[in-house]
Amino acid sequence: MILRSLTLRLTLLFALASTVVLLGLGYVIAEAIDRHFVEQDMEVLDGKMELARNALSRVHSPVELAALPALLDESLVGHHGLAVIVIGPEGKKLFESGDAMFPVSVLNLHDDRKPVEWGEGMHRFRGIAGEAATGIVDAPPAIVGVATEVEHHESFMSSFRFTLWLFVIGAALVMGLLGWVATYRALTPLRAIKQGAASVTASKLSYRLSLEAIPAELADLAQTLNDMLARLEESFRRLSDFSSDLAHELRTPISNLMTQTQVSLSKARSTDEYQDILSSNSEELERMARMVSDMLFLAKADNGLMTTSTEPVTLNDEVQSLFEFYEALADASAVTLVAQGQATVNADRLMLRRALSNLLSNALRHAEPGSAVRVMMETQEHAVRIILENTGTGIAPEHLPRLFDRFYRVDASRQRSSEGAGLGLAITHSIIRAHSGSISASSAEGITRFTVLLPLPQQV
Amino acid sequence: MKILVVEDETKTGDYLKQGLTEAGFVVDLARDGFDGMQLALSEEYALIVLDVMLPELSGWRVLQSIREAGKEMPVLFLTARDQIEDRVKGLELGADDYLVKPFAFAELLARVRTLLRRGSKVTEADRICVADLELDLRRRRVTRAGQRIDLTAKEFSLLELLLRRRGEVLPRSLIASQVWDMNFDSDTNVIEVAMRRLRAKIDDAFPVKLIRTIRGMGYVLEQPEGEP
Repeated sequence: MILRSLTLRLTLLFALASTVVLLGLGYVIAEAIDRHFVEQDMEVLDGKMELARNALSRVHSPVELAALPALLDESLVGHHGLAVIVIGPEGKKLFESGDAMFPVSVLNLHDDRKPVEWGEGMHRFRGIAGEAATGIVDAPPAIVGVATEVEHHESFMSSFRFTLWLFVIGAALVMGLLGWVATYRALTPLRAIKQGAASVTASKLSYRLSLEAIPAELADLAQTLNDMLARLEESFRRLSDFSSDLAHELRTPISNLMTQTQVSLSKARSTDEYQDILSSNSEELERMARMVSDMLFLAKADNGLMTTSTEPVTLNDEVQSLFEFYEALADASAVTLVAQGQATVNADRLMLRRALSNLLSNALRHAEPGSAVRVMMETQEHAVRIILENTGTGIAPEHLPRLFDRFYRVDASRQRSSEGAGLGLAITHSIIRAHSGSISASSAEGITRFTVLLPLPQQV
Repeated sequence: MKILVVEDETKTGDYLKQGLTEAGFVVDLARDGFDGMQLALSEEYALIVLDVMLPELSGWRVLQSIREAGKEMPVLFLTARDQIEDRVKGLELGADDYLVKPFAFAELLARVRTLLRRGSKVTEADRICVADLELDLRRRRVTRAGQRIDLTAKEFSLLELLLRRRGEVLPRSLIASQVWDMNFDSDTNVIEVAMRRLRAKIDDAFPVKLIRTIRGMGYVLEQPEGEP
């Protein structure tokens, strides 16, 4: 099972960590105490062993050997819990004190540096056994066993272990609780983020998470969320602008069509009149259809859905084709078309042509009769620069920044004349942007100039 | 020539049928994909106009069935969505051309005629004549009533287009695309000015006017009725 709750997971982790650490510590301490007890016991046992050996070494005859128990008894008085056994050279038990039942295996060990434990139930002993030479000539050595009771050690250790376990359990609970509190507190900013995110709706997209109250680890997340909100807000704004623009721009032609059609239906008219009305309607409808398709083009571009298939395009050829197209219109208002310089760009030919066509159409519309519309092309270090220039009344500075907005018209009174829907420059802007380029407009002393910068293909 | 129109939208279907009938075609109208497929497979049609958003059976399925049955007649599909994937899909499935709704009827008619002409091999004539207007394609010369007329290269192309498709109403967008290769909604004023200049050279000096403006639709070049 995977624990879904971060708080629970961290709480358990805290408790587990404290348990492991404390158990480890307890083990080390218990080992040290145990070792200390052994050393303490060994000191006593060594002393008694020494005593027994000393006594045995002073025995020089079997008679003296028989007197040994009394001697030993005397010197062992007052040593509670101590047991001593002496087995003579003939295997006869010479002396035994205390109630330790020395196992044979212990007595045969002959290694007085290695304590052994035995016993059962409450009676546990730790003891050593070793050989001891007697003063009797040519007699084999006797065996001495010394043992001490270790029950009091055992009971100390078991109470120590009990305390340790209690402490570990208590500590685990406390640590778990602390962990829970810490996690809960640490997650407070997340809950704030959650609340903030829950309050975001379509009409309240301007909400941003405040970064000051948020810890550094979460600031990144909050910033990312804020950026996401900003992008959403921008897209949403565009979308609603798009809808309201479209509704607004369609209202006038639709109302015209409705009025015209209803008025003409109000009484019988001649065929010519009907034909006239229908033709006019058809023109209006075509304009609307064009506007809708332009709007869709822009919407696609705005949402990054425009697909460009780039190829090397010789700008001069494109400009010449456009000049051929606009030749008649230019001639009609005695405007000359001039192309200067040359350049090649990587672009979607059809789109680039459309972008330049809109610029040229715009320049021609505002060109003074008898003047020239110039297209200047130049390859710079990182980009190709295209400048379109016309002489005319110019554009007032306050209009320049909004020139590429949808439906923006410099002259409000010319709303629905030859100027079209006011989408041409917006489309150009979108196309240039889709090519990672930039476009700007300037106007001074009657000369209006559009500057397009298109990046050069990366040299590999 | 018999044309099948498969279109579920009632008004659009009716008007397409009326328009194409009045343009001289025999038209069958199917209101859904299933009927459309039945008709396409059982009858012989010179061309099919197919809406892709259909009830019962989608236009794509209809198109697939027609091609699988080995029928080779041109298919022009109508789509409401201007998505490249849609167009690519249609053309991959074997359609010959497409139009995005809303479209001008003149545009549809022009496309239909182009598709129908594609099959029949027309012998390339050196000269095209309408009334007393004569176009010499080889020497690129124009005469009217024996009088030589000087035209620019583009004016010649424009006149050639009008003459080749005489009697057909050509929408401005089609003219812009065919003569100047402007394949997008461009400044239609340009076409008007260019037409005015062509007429000044071709028609103004003569009593019989060959080029006519059809308001709301486009231009047509034809011998006026009642003239020899």
